[in-house]
Amino acid sequence: MSNQRQLFQQLFEENSKRVYHLCYGYTGDSDSANDLMQETFIKVWQNLDRFRNQSQFSTWIYRIAINTCLSYLRTAKRRVTEELNDSIIENYTEEPSEKQEQVALLYKSIAQLEENERIIITMVLDEVPYPEIAEVAGISEGNLRVKIHRIKHKLTEIYNSNERV
Amino acid sequence: MKGFEEIQQLWHGQDPDPNVSFDTVLKRIKNSRSAFAKKLFWQSISTAVAVAILLWMCLTVDFSTWTTYLAIAIMVACICYYFVSQLNDYRALSRSHDLLSKPQDYIQYLKTFQQKRNRFNTRNYAVYEVCIAVAFALYGVEMYFALPLWTFIGLVVFVIFWFVICHVVFMKQYIRNENTRIAEMIDNLERIKGQFNENTEL
Repeated sequence: MSNQRQLFQQLFEENSKRVYHLCYGYTGDSDSANDLMQETFIKVWQNLDRFRNQSQFSTWIYRIAINTCLSYLRTAKRRVTEELNDSIIENYTEEPSEKQEQVALLYKSIAQLEENERIIITMVLDEVPYPEIAEVAGISEGNLRVKIHRIKHKLTEIYNSNERV
Repeated sequence: MKGFEEIQQLWHGQDPDPNVSFDTVLKRIKNSRSAFAKKLFWQSISTAVAVAILLWMCLTVDFSTWTTYLAIAIMVACICYYFVSQLNDYRALSRSHDLLSKPQDYIQYLKTFQQKRNRFNTRNYAVYEVCIAVAFALYGVEMYFALPLWTFIGLVVFVIFWFVICHVVFMKQYIRNENTRIAEMIDNLERIKGQFNENTEL
């Protein structure tokens, strides 16, 4: 039990930030991201004894995080649409610095991508290796590379057009 | 005008970090486990009490018609069926193997699960309702011989009235809400499933 707790703590410390980024990128809202991150780690704990070393721990955790985000739709009070863009701005209402504004703008731009694109791009931004992203998303690496190329281009365009407004 | 590399630098310099500590997560795990166990405990207790009362009645009360015994057996079966179904759903939710599936498979699992719940709330509930009605009707045979006629008629009218209210008002409303929710969820899942599909246009 204490070994399991130690392992869980280590997994939490190593992965919580990235999982949070993934959830934040997906929902565009920090409160929901915190909730989803907690939910993800609760599921990690519940399934820890089922981890079979077939992949890295991080891949396994990402998979759980993505599926948790997908099922978030079932309980989401509001839709992940334009309205969340306002909530992203609201998160930074206390005299944001220029950098905070840019980060808010980045999340706003990510929110304008499609759901699967948000998930993939947050992993790319967190520098998760491509083979791992392909495994997590359940698509081939070749397909993933094409997708990433397209999403990078799309995000850059959206970001720059939002910056001009 | 920023390039992707600058956007990536911006990402790495961001402040938003999770404001949830490891201890908070651990506490929530304990709470959710005990809340789940508590809910399950009380449901098991109430089911066991209901079944025990019905069995006790079977053994101690000397019913004059065999139809009453059949009515009790149907009631016990209905209660057990409902309890087992709830238990299975709880277990499916808390330890889902599909949680580790590819996203597109997981979406399929969610859709199947919701459709199963929909079937449970509509078709299975209708069968459940009919079984309970049959049980009451069978018990009514005993009551017919035991009660004065007008009391018996009053009881029958009340039971029918209650069944009609449950079926026409409460259940219809419940199904309507559930269907709207499921339809919305399936629409969303269909949209996302297309995005995750390997063969989606590149």
